[in-house]
Amino acid sequence: MFPRPTVFAALSLVLLIGCKDREIATYRAPKDPPPVMPGPPPPSDDAASSSAPGNQSMANTAVPTASGSDLVWTAPTAWAAKPNGPMRKGSFSVKGDGGDADLSITAFPGSTGGLLANVNRWRGQLGLAPFGEGEMETNVVHLDAGDLHMVVVDFAGNAGDKSTRILGAIIPQDTDTWFFKLMGPDALVESQKPAFLEFLHTVKSR
Amino acid sequence: MKPITRQFRDFFVSLKLTIVLLVLSIVLIFWATLSQVDLGVWGVQEKFFHSFFVLGRIPGTKFPIPVFPGGYSIGGLLLINLIAAHIYRFKLEWKKLGIQLTHFGIILILVGELLSGIFQQESQMPLNEGETKNYSESYRDVELAIMDITDPKFNEVVAIPEAVLRDGGTIQHPSLPFQVKIRDYYPNAILQMRNQVPNAAPAVATSGIGPRVALIPLPLTYKADERNSPAADIELVATEGSLGIWVTSPLFGMPQTVSYQGHTWELALRFKRYYRPFALTLLKFTHEIYAGTDIPKNFASRVRLKTDDGHEDREILIYMNNPLRYAGLTFYQASFDPSNDHNTILQVVRNPSWVLPYVSCILMALGLVIQFGMHLVKFIRKRSAN
Repeated sequence: MFPRPTVFAALSLVLLIGCKDREIATYRAPKDPPPVMPGPPPPSDDAASSSAPGNQSMANTAVPTASGSDLVWTAPTAWAAKPNGPMRKGSFSVKGDGGDADLSITAFPGSTGGLLANVNRWRGQLGLAPFGEGEMETNVVHLDAGDLHMVVVDFAGNAGDKSTRILGAIIPQDTDTWFFKLMGPDALVESQKPAFLEFLHTVKSR
Repeated sequence: MKPITRQFRDFFVSLKLTIVLLVLSIVLIFWATLSQVDLGVWGVQEKFFHSFFVLGRIPGTKFPIPVFPGGYSIGGLLLINLIAAHIYRFKLEWKKLGIQLTHFGIILILVGELLSGIFQQESQMPLNEGETKNYSESYRDVELAIMDITDPKFNEVVAIPEAVLRDGGTIQHPSLPFQVKIRDYYPNAILQMRNQVPNAAPAVATSGIGPRVALIPLPLTYKADERNSPAADIELVATEGSLGIWVTSPLFGMPQTVSYQGHTWELALRFKRYYRPFALTLLKFTHEIYAGTDIPKNFASRVRLKTDDGHEDREILIYMNNPLRYAGLTFYQASFDPSNDHNTILQVVRNPSWVLPYVSCILMALGLVIQFGMHLVKFIRKRSAN
């Protein structure tokens, strides 16, 4: 009833459609740009004044996690607290000569892929090559502060066209993993390193 | 003409067939509309319209049986019926022009729907303000992406589609120095920390986050506001032996890493990605609601489009009924994240036959105007003659 070429054409179309779903694709893809946290509104005058109370004490912030016990910390007064946004447990703006750096505090259940994956995620955000298994140990600092064990990193690279630095600490706490990350212009973040390390020593479980 | 051939011809050109098919399609649409309550829009489309038969099950068994003709059968037969009648009854006459054009319009709309069903690709692009993406993601299809991330500038990606994962087995791909063994595949599953699930089955995974989580399979969901989240246990096997077993799921926000032969690989089960030779950056998302309610009034995304070769770099405002059409793709303002005022969700549609429904509507309108116009003229002439 139908001419043979028509039947062949219809059959090949069906086969083509059927096979398209099963094709293993290989391609070269650019690195994912660093995830952008939802931009909180700039701190208003009210927020700035409430984060720096008149007695010159430090701003205390405590945030509960979904499971496991909480961490608390004491931030230097020069750092302005920002609204946390949906993913953050704590959020600070660190201002200096080179501009504005962002300190984010997040916590997730589990090991979230492991230490190496997270260190390499931060390296990826600065356009740096990932560490292999053995390489990481020689490039991180282990810090014990109170009853907490922290893995501290200091990486400088480029985010976009700007030279950028990440000072970070990864802290396993019960079943969760906490991330403290200060990211911003290279010179500014480097100048804040002593303050950041001092800040890490104030972190403790509640 | 042989009697059997004539029978075939008479069957396909008959107006009775048209009526029967139209009645069947009314029943199908009515039934599908009622089923939306349980299956959602996507489930109904798959079950009733993108199928040759609506399948039911013999009670008490899992054996599927066809219970009603599906959209492809009814649409296909209607198409054959129309074309056959067109060829059989076609006479090149001016007074038939209106009818011919109208019928040709209907044929075109059916062909357009068939082509859309085959070639249309829908995906979405969620963007936070300031974020740039050069890919969109499928709503439902997942892929296992195995990425060599050793080079600091780019990733070499091997993407294994869901259909292959579902079949299980072992995959040896020339771009990978190890075999990928799919040990288990779950079309929908949630993950919980193992210490929170007292009676969890022993972990299959030996590496990454896997040993610490428990995988709980769930039945497939078809609801419009829910998404299936597949999971798979993946073993990588090199010539020296197994490199480990990982549990993968799009619920893990980030990939897991494995090092082998001086290369670092990332392993992620993620929603299928479609990379483009250009990138969109969300500059600003505006979201207005009617005063005193949560009902959206207007939402718009100001985006920057930049091609890889630098030929194009411009700003566009995408809002309801004003999509961006670029490189064969249409970007619609589809949704936003209610918990985040700085996030937009663009729907990305590639449909090479998008213009056909417009052409067929114009043809049908033109045909009807000609047809009724000729009747009108004839009637007026007759009246003035009297």
